[in-house]
Amino acid sequence: MSSKEELLKRLSDGVVDMEEDDVAEAAQEYLDEGYPAFDGIMEGLVDGMNRASQLYEEEEYFVTDVLLCSDAMYAGLDILRPHLPEVSNDDKVTGIIGVVEGDTHDIGKNLVKIMLETAGFNMIDLGRDVPLTRFVETAKEENADFVCMSTLMTTTMGGMETVVGLLKEAGLRDKVKVMIGGGPISQKYADKIGADGYSQNAVEAVKLAKRLLNIA
Amino acid sequence: MAEIKVKQTGKKIEIREGENLLEALLGAGIFVDNPCSGKGICGKCKVRIVSGEVSGITASEERLLKAEEIQAGIRLSCMAEVSGDVEIELLQKERKHEVLTKGYMPQFERDVYDDGYGIVIDIGTTTVVTALIDLKTGKELANASMINAQKQYGLDVLTRITYEYEHPDCGIQKLQEAIVNSINAMIGEACQEAAVDRRDIREIDVAANCTMTHMLLGVDARSIGRSPYRPVFTEAKDLPAREIGIEAAEDTRLYCLPQVSAYIGADIVAGAYVCELWKERGNVLFIDIGTNGEIVLASNGRLLSCSCAAGPALEGMNISSGMRAAEGAVEDVEITDQGIRLKVIGDQEPAGLCGSGILAVLKELLRTGIVKKTGVFVKKDKLKEDDYRYSMIQMNGTKREFILCENPKLLVTQGDVRQVQLAKGAILSGFTALLGKAGISMEDLDKVMIAGQFGAHLPSESLIGTGILPGEVEGKLVYVGNSSKTGAYMTLMSERVKRETERLARKMEYMELAETENYERIFTESMIFPENR
Repeated sequence: MSSKEELLKRLSDGVVDMEEDDVAEAAQEYLDEGYPAFDGIMEGLVDGMNRASQLYEEEEYFVTDVLLCSDAMYAGLDILRPHLPEVSNDDKVTGIIGVVEGDTHDIGKNLVKIMLETAGFNMIDLGRDVPLTRFVETAKEENADFVCMSTLMTTTMGGMETVVGLLKEAGLRDKVKVMIGGGPISQKYADKIGADGYSQNAVEAVKLAKRLLNIA
Repeated sequence: MAEIKVKQTGKKIEIREGENLLEALLGAGIFVDNPCSGKGICGKCKVRIVSGEVSGITASEERLLKAEEIQAGIRLSCMAEVSGDVEIELLQKERKHEVLTKGYMPQFERDVYDDGYGIVIDIGTTTVVTALIDLKTGKELANASMINAQKQYGLDVLTRITYEYEHPDCGIQKLQEAIVNSINAMIGEACQEAAVDRRDIREIDVAANCTMTHMLLGVDARSIGRSPYRPVFTEAKDLPAREIGIEAAEDTRLYCLPQVSAYIGADIVAGAYVCELWKERGNVLFIDIGTNGEIVLASNGRLLSCSCAAGPALEGMNISSGMRAAEGAVEDVEITDQGIRLKVIGDQEPAGLCGSGILAVLKELLRTGIVKKTGVFVKKDKLKEDDYRYSMIQMNGTKREFILCENPKLLVTQGDVRQVQLAKGAILSGFTALLGKAGISMEDLDKVMIAGQFGAHLPSESLIGTGILPGEVEGKLVYVGNSSKTGAYMTLMSERVKRETERLARKMEYMELAETENYERIFTESMIFPENR
C-alpha cells in the first residue's frame, strides 16, 4: 500500500520521465486507494508537467521531450478525469487556439495548447488551416477571453492581421486578447498588426496569457 | 530627402526620410544578408552606423546584439529607420561560394545534330548553374554559376512567394526579371568563354524546383505557399525562349522539365530520372538534402515521394555561428582529448560554421557524449575537472555552450543543437513515413542516393553519426552530385528522354507528410539522436 504522497510523486515523476505506462498504473492505484482525483491531477500530473516546462525553459528539455511528457500526463488524465466532481467550465478562462488558414504545421500549436491547458485555461482547439472567420465566430460563441494564432509559413502571416481586423469589426476586440506565435513571427510583427502579445515558445505563452489577463 | 553613404565603396543612395535602412540598401542593389527578410528575428543584417541619425535601438536588437556591438554603433538594418544623412559600414564580405556542377550520369543515346549549341540550367533557390553544350559532340564547352539574384527578395522560396503576396502589382515581374537577367548574364559568360555566338543556341533546358519554375516563367506562385499547396501547373513546358526575355536566337526553344507537386519539382524528377529509379527492382531511396529535404522511394515498381521542411539550419542559417559554405567556413571538426581540430574552407581563419561543419561538430559532440541522445548538453558539473571535455563547455547563465574555437570565438549553443535536431527530425520522419507507406523496413533498403549541392559535402559519418539517416543504411550511400543539371542535360540531348521524364513525373506519387497518420509521433521519435557509438 502506498501513501497519497508517494503516489502523487510517482504521477509527477512519471510525467517528467515520460513514462506513460507508469503514470497510468500509478493513476489507477491512486484511485483504488480512494484518494481524490482532483488532487491527483493538480498535485501529481500538472505538477509533473510544470516541472517539465521548467526544464524546457532551462533548455534541458526540448519540444519533443515535452510532447512525450504530455503523452504521459494525458494517459493519467484519461484515468483520473472521469472521477472528478461535476464542474462547469464557466469559471475557467477560455482561449481559442489554431493554426491560421493556409498552413498545416501544427506541432508548435499543440504544445502551446497543452501548456495552457495545464495552466488551467479552458482551451478550444480549432486545429490547423483554420478559416480566419472561424476564430472570430468561435470567440463570440464561446465568449472567449483570448485568441491564440500560430503559423510556420511567412505566406500565411497576413491572416493574423485579418483576424485582428475581424475582431474589431465584430466589436470583440476590447473583450478578447490576441496572442500570436510561430517560426516567422516576432514582437515586431505583433506590434505591427496590433496583437496584444507575442511569445517565442510554449512556456512564454502561458506567462503571456496570464499577464494579458491579469492572472497571478 | 536624405542620403546614405556606404563607407567601403563611397556609394551614395538617395532615400526618403524615415525609410527602412535594410530596404534602402537592398533597393540600391547592395546585398545585406537577411535570412528572415527583415523581420528582426535572425540578427544577421548587421551594419555599423558611422555617423548620422537613425531611429532608436529596439528591444529585438537588444536581444540579438551583444552589448559591445551596440556600443560600437552596430544595428540590425531591418530595425533602423533613417532620419537624416547617414554614413554606414557594411559588415559582411561577399564571400566566394563553392558550387557543384558535376555528377553521375547513366548511358543514353543522344539525338544527332550537325551543329548548334544548347544550354542547360539548374535553378536552385540559392544557386544557379548553367552549362553551354555542343549539340554535335554532346560536350560541355563552358559553364557558369552564380547566387540566385532573387535572394534580394528572400533567401527561401516561402519568403519569395510572400513577396508576390505583398507586391501584387509587380512581385511576379520582379522575381522573373531577376532570374532572367541572371540567366542572360551567365549565357553571355559561357558563350564568351567558348567563343560561341549566342544566336547559335538552339535549345535551353531548365530543371528547377516548382516555385523557381513558376517564377522563371512569370506564373503566379502564390498558391504554392499556402495549403493545399497547389501549383498552377506541373507539366513540362516548351516555349520560345524569347517569350520570357532570354536573349538567344529568335527561335531558340526553352524546355522546362516536368514537376510532380508544389514541393517535388523538376529538379527531383530530373534526379529520379538520372538515378533510373523507375528501372529499379530493389528498394532504393533518393534524397536531396537542403532547406526542403525531398525524398523519393522506389519500391516494388512504385515511386513514392515526399518533401520535408528541414529549415535552413543545415545550410548554416539560424545557427549562432552559422554561415554559408564559403571561404572561412568550418567544414569539418574533430574532437579528441588532445583538443579540437578544425578544417576551414580556403585554409583561412575560421569565420563561422557552414552546414557540413555544423553536422560534423554535432556528430563529434554526440560521439564524445558532450551532447546526449535527447539533444541536451551534458551537465558541466557531471564531468570531472580533469576530463578533457570540461574546459570545452562554458556556462552562460544556466545555459551550456560548447567552445569550438577560442579566437575568434565560435560557440555551439543548446539552441543550435535544437535547430539541427529539428532539421534531422523532419528529414528522418519523411524517410520513415515513406518506408511505412511502402510497407518496408530500413534493412530492406538496397541503396540510398544522395543528390544535390549540399548533400555532396556531407560524408556518411556525419549523416549517420547525427542520425539524419539511420545506421541501417551505412555502406549503402551513393553520391550522385548535381543530378538536376544532369537531368536537364539528358533532356537537352534527347527527345526520347524528354518523353520518358514526363512519363516518370506522372508516375511519381506524392504524399503530404502533415496528413500522414501519427505524423507527430513519427516526428517526435525521429528527433532522438543515435546512441553514442
